[in-house]
Amino acid sequence: MKRLTLLAAGLLTTCVLGAQNVRDLVISEVMPEPDSTSLVDDYGRRTGWIELYNTSTGTVSYGGCFLTDDRDNLRKSLIPAWDRSTKLGPRQTVVFYASGCGSDGTFYAGFTLRPGATVYLVSNDGRTIVDSLPVPAALPQGKSVVKKAVDLREKVYEVMPEAADPSPRMVNKDPDAETKGQIMAHKDPHGLILALVSISVVFAALALLWFLFANLFSPKKPRIPRLRPSKAPDEEVAAAVALALDMEQGGEVYAAIALALHLYLNDSVHDAETYVLTYGPVSPQWNNKELNFRKLPR
Amino acid sequence: MEQIISSLQQFWEYTGIANCTWQNLVMIGIGIVFITLAIVKEWEPMLLVPIGFGMVIGNIPMFPGLNIGIYEDGSVLNILYQGVRQGWYPPLIFLGIGAMTDFSALISQPRLILIGAAAQMGIFGAYLLALSMGFMPNEAGAIGIIGGADGPTAIFLSSKLAPDLMGAIAVSAYSYMALVPVIQKPIMLLLTTDKERRIRMPAPRVVSQKEKIIFPIVGFLITAFIVPSGLPLLGMLFFGNLLKESGVTRRLAETARGPLIDVVTTLIGLTVGASTQADKFLSLNSLKIFGLGLLSFVIATACGVLFVKLMNLFIKNPARKINPLIGNAGVSAVPDSARVSEVVGREIDPSNHLLMHAMGPNVAGVIGSAVAAGILLSFLG
Repeated sequence: MKRLTLLAAGLLTTCVLGAQNVRDLVISEVMPEPDSTSLVDDYGRRTGWIELYNTSTGTVSYGGCFLTDDRDNLRKSLIPAWDRSTKLGPRQTVVFYASGCGSDGTFYAGFTLRPGATVYLVSNDGRTIVDSLPVPAALPQGKSVVKKAVDLREKVYEVMPEAADPSPRMVNKDPDAETKGQIMAHKDPHGLILALVSISVVFAALALLWFLFANLFSPKKPRIPRLRPSKAPDEEVAAAVALALDMEQGGEVYAAIALALHLYLNDSVHDAETYVLTYGPVSPQWNNKELNFRKLPR
Repeated sequence: MEQIISSLQQFWEYTGIANCTWQNLVMIGIGIVFITLAIVKEWEPMLLVPIGFGMVIGNIPMFPGLNIGIYEDGSVLNILYQGVRQGWYPPLIFLGIGAMTDFSALISQPRLILIGAAAQMGIFGAYLLALSMGFMPNEAGAIGIIGGADGPTAIFLSSKLAPDLMGAIAVSAYSYMALVPVIQKPIMLLLTTDKERRIRMPAPRVVSQKEKIIFPIVGFLITAFIVPSGLPLLGMLFFGNLLKESGVTRRLAETARGPLIDVVTTLIGLTVGASTQADKFLSLNSLKIFGLGLLSFVIATACGVLFVKLMNLFIKNPARKINPLIGNAGVSAVPDSARVSEVVGREIDPSNHLLMHAMGPNVAGVIGSAVAAGILLSFLG
């Protein structure tokens, strides 16, 4: 049963860890028909291009995936898995030229684009479609079709209905977007709102802790174990112990023992501990081989 | 002969003497002052010795391009500095702090938690002042966190909000933490009457092991759900505390509060010190940051003390009144500010021990400053 639980936990962890993979990629922009101002590839040609965007906050490796414009042939153009540059950083883009010849390089697709087609990004299993972007048949030359985030939290992306000016290798969002600091500088120039809200949140968080521990988790009446000797200690034994301690230790030990007993017997400030505190030499057993072995679960 | 002279000339150009500026000498002087204060006065030696020596290391004048400076990619110092830049070290320090903190003072008197919240006003007071001095909101937030009196939190937040100001903010935070006894005492005496300073607080109750185990779990869930952006700090703090209190992970807890925190403290101190290269550190902004840091400590201390006085107005039972001298402990600076409460309290009444009581708001301050850092990060990050 224990092993089954461990196995289930392992599988669950694997699923969670697998979250940051090619499924986080979207086809963010496609420009099928270039005009005289379009992007020039490494060979000096103007071709159509496909832009991928990593929506996650981790690096995604997309080597081994496929690009295609044919639903019946999902393995049309392979992105080489051996190329170490086929990794996309968080919230970054990469452009593939649709030159029609995949052997032109890693970032070249083995098909050309045309309006009315649909571009697919296919996982490295060659079957699973990760994302697709239909290119409108009426898309003017030199214009692109763009996919933008409508809900970043839910990772919902929608194709924009109107033709856009191409923006290769740029994240498709408002170019004038300001940082949070700049926005706060406009909205709250004196900082009063932020200060008030923040103080309230700090108080709320700690007041909640106070409430819980004052009312819910606090025991009604703690029971303190008391030492009650069943019978008076033998005077001779006590005298012998005192004599032995006197010979071995100094006055500080007496003081420490007396203080500890005093605190313990008088509803003291000391907490209940799981282990006993004592003094005297204790072997750390640092060289004990048995203690250095890993304890495997049984 | 000509070649020898040319070689010597080339060697001379690489020496620190040829590249030295007065700013380098000033920073080396400050580093030596830090080391002296740590050794002679024993002011926070664990922090000031690494920071001071780091300042000396970082300000040895050198010919740029040798790939040895802290700001040169790939150099040893640069690699170690990534722990500060990327914010890896502060959560690791919080793990150690959690593993060495006993929250029982807080659990036994939960009402003292609120003092830890009140003292965070120093952060937001400094934030407002920094804005009025022309800093951008993200920079002001990073400067304000100095008032949390928590070095790792200050480094963590400034690395996210204003990396360029991180050196000045970190040095300022650690310097004022070392000066807590000097800064707090006059404010505490100014804001309290003799009668208030003599208030005796009831002995805290016994805290069960079960409560100690529940506290880090519940504490983490509440604070992290309210401020998820404080997750790295809060998660590590409460995780470290759970290692300590669970009773079954003693070896892990000992490592976290021993060797691990020692290694990280050494590295963070050294690299923060080394990051104060004169050309990047000596500026008017650094001076402003030092001034604002001092003010944030003053505001935090005053707010903590005044908040206790406010609480006392609502406490009818004289036996349950709180001594306002523990209000200063709401700023983190564990355990120095609690020690200040004890020392000042005993100066008035030698038999009135406030240390146990002051530890409550003190550890609440650690939680409060991590929460405040999370809030600032979510607003300005």
